[in-house]
Amino acid sequence: MSSSSSPMQSTGRKLKLKSKDDETFEVEEAVAVKSQIFKYMVEDGVSNGPIPLPNVNGKTLARVLQWCQKHADPTITEDELNKYDAGFIDVDQAVLYDLLMAANYLNIEELLKLACMRVADMIKGKSPDEIRRTFNIKNDFTPEEEEEVRKENAWALGP
Amino acid sequence: MQHHYHHRSQSHLSAGVPTTPGGETQFASEAKLGKKRGSYNCGRCGLPKKGHSCHVAITTAAIESTPTHADSSVAISATSSLSTTRPPPLRQHCSNLRRALSFDDDVEDVRGGFPEPEAAYDEEDLQFDDPFPDPDSGGFPPGCLWEILRRLPPVGLLAAARVCKGWRETARKLWRAAEELRLRVPARAQVGFVGSVLQKCPGLVRLSLRMESDVDATMLACIAFSCPNLEFMEILKSDTAMNRITGDELGRFVADKRCLKSLKMEGCSNLGGFVLCSSSLSTLWLSDLFSLSKTVFNCPNLKEISLEFSRQQNDSTDLTSMVDGLGRYCTRLQNIHMASLRLSHSVVLALTGAQLRWLRMLSLVLGSEITDASVAAIASSYPNLELLDLSGSSISDSGIGMICNVFPETLSRLLLALCPNITSSGIQFVTAQLPLLELMDCGMTICDPNSENPLAGESNDWELKNISKTKLHLVHQKLIIKHNRLKKLSLWGCSGLDALYLNCPELNDLNLNSCKNLHPERLLLQCGNLESVHASGCQELLIEAIESQVSNDFLAMENVLPCKRLADGSKRVHVPHFLSAQSYDDDKKQRVKRQRCNVLVR
Repeated sequence: MSSSSSPMQSTGRKLKLKSKDDETFEVEEAVAVKSQIFKYMVEDGVSNGPIPLPNVNGKTLARVLQWCQKHADPTITEDELNKYDAGFIDVDQAVLYDLLMAANYLNIEELLKLACMRVADMIKGKSPDEIRRTFNIKNDFTPEEEEEVRKENAWALGP
Repeated sequence: MQHHYHHRSQSHLSAGVPTTPGGETQFASEAKLGKKRGSYNCGRCGLPKKGHSCHVAITTAAIESTPTHADSSVAISATSSLSTTRPPPLRQHCSNLRRALSFDDDVEDVRGGFPEPEAAYDEEDLQFDDPFPDPDSGGFPPGCLWEILRRLPPVGLLAAARVCKGWRETARKLWRAAEELRLRVPARAQVGFVGSVLQKCPGLVRLSLRMESDVDATMLACIAFSCPNLEFMEILKSDTAMNRITGDELGRFVADKRCLKSLKMEGCSNLGGFVLCSSSLSTLWLSDLFSLSKTVFNCPNLKEISLEFSRQQNDSTDLTSMVDGLGRYCTRLQNIHMASLRLSHSVVLALTGAQLRWLRMLSLVLGSEITDASVAAIASSYPNLELLDLSGSSISDSGIGMICNVFPETLSRLLLALCPNITSSGIQFVTAQLPLLELMDCGMTICDPNSENPLAGESNDWELKNISKTKLHLVHQKLIIKHNRLKKLSLWGCSGLDALYLNCPELNDLNLNSCKNLHPERLLLQCGNLESVHASGCQELLIEAIESQVSNDFLAMENVLPCKRLADGSKRVHVPHFLSAQSYDDDKKQRVKRQRCNVLVR
């Protein structure tokens, strides 16, 4: 994905971004400022040369920018956006994780919320063990601690 | 306080279709008692402001018509066929007045309201030098984890805390920061479940419990102990649970909780009587009250009160002295809602005798003994009302005349459902005389409830000779309503209506449920902002007529094709999905709403 010009944008100013794996992206300012860090850069006038993003890989950055473009489009209706978001975030775990990290790093509030909500949905209804398996989290409690925390967080209907 | 509007209008009638999933529609099912619950959308007031205290009574759910009721009402109408007023119709609706709170109806997930992280972070957590986790820990960075876990419902958070140390810590912080908790207590909850949850969030300010297991004073004690800062408390009750709290126990709780501002409780049939003393209490809602002996409301700062009595016939509460006491101690009352079959003119006199200078919303429903004289008393003592609900009363068109005389500068909501003695001229008069009106409910007014026999099938053929003179004003009625501000109009059950013309540019919601005789060719809707029309129980042809009328309006507004001249001189015509041209020029990132009007038939 290279330049993302939408017919609605009139400023025409573009930002150049470079991902961790050296992929470059050109994106309209109006789209990029969905990310708070780019917003500050644009406001402060610091946008010469490609901005390096050592913490985001090309594939993820492409996805994120696609999301930003969709959300920067003024003609899209709320219903359509919601549908888009639902489809966008319905990805496998690894991708979701990358999106979450990227949204956090780039400080894109709405995308972060979307990703967090999705992760929360994946946690709901699962037992601690199931949660660990889903996210590959190591259980670092000692057996005594585990018992203690179990008591502390007794479920309504049993262990 | 928001009430659920649609529910009442749809489910009270024998032929009506309740909105709840799995709700029953047949007459036969009405014999069963019980409350129906539904999703709580912003209610009847039609004004979607959050926190808006709209004191509107809605009746919902189960139709409690027992055979004995039906018999007695038939007898009454036979003897009074020559009189000019009719007795109120049999109470076909069971008003388990549900207030529409923004409560998650998803019983699996009860959302806890955890605050934004900024509010709760300690110094050390603010440093996000390394936004990426140690690959071995498999977790999320601290900031993300908070964002994720705070979106979990309370029980989800309990599970999350057991995953690993980092999660436990974050969960603990979330609990400590929690100010609001909405919890569903399942039927077989472990003893102490609520207690153990409450102990995690000592900072709780708002608590809402939906009890599916019985509740008694030990719950109150637990709450009193664990939540020192509690200001808003609500105890909701499922059909199967019992509320055993007594008046004494409640009184003690209220007296001890010095910062309690709002108390809402359902299922209060075991109170028996109470003395409530609190200088902090400003909102009080009690429902399912029954046979209260002594009641003292020593709450000088009370602003809103809602007292709903159970439908049982042998309620021995002395409403007059109760209201008398209320008026004496709680002089700051602004919103009053009372629902009881025993409401009468003397109760109204007790109310008007009090000096409630701030009274703005008054709702006295189900009282068939409330008459035009009551309206006169109310109008003369409280001329600045913004909401008046006298549904189920015996007021007539002359009462309406008084209302229009006194309240045109303030009244924005008028509810007169199930008032058998008002006519279509009265209704039209209201819409002509009250310029600020935004909500009007005239459900089941233009109809003859005694002829509401769904077993007789479609009543398209009227045998005019069989209709007595007194009932002529109940058939073939026409309504012409032109109003600039009206937002919500309900004509549910007006089966005597056969022609309707509405020119209300601000109308959002129109309820025509069970307007069985509304003629498809005598319907004209010129309401460009209409979002929903309820048409359950209406003829097929009428539904089609409605659909075509509302989509015509919609299409008419779509004939705007903004175009843009581009820098190179070319012109691009953009076919929009939005209705108005001005949002095109709007600089802000405004999400454009496509206004489609929904015709709802169930």
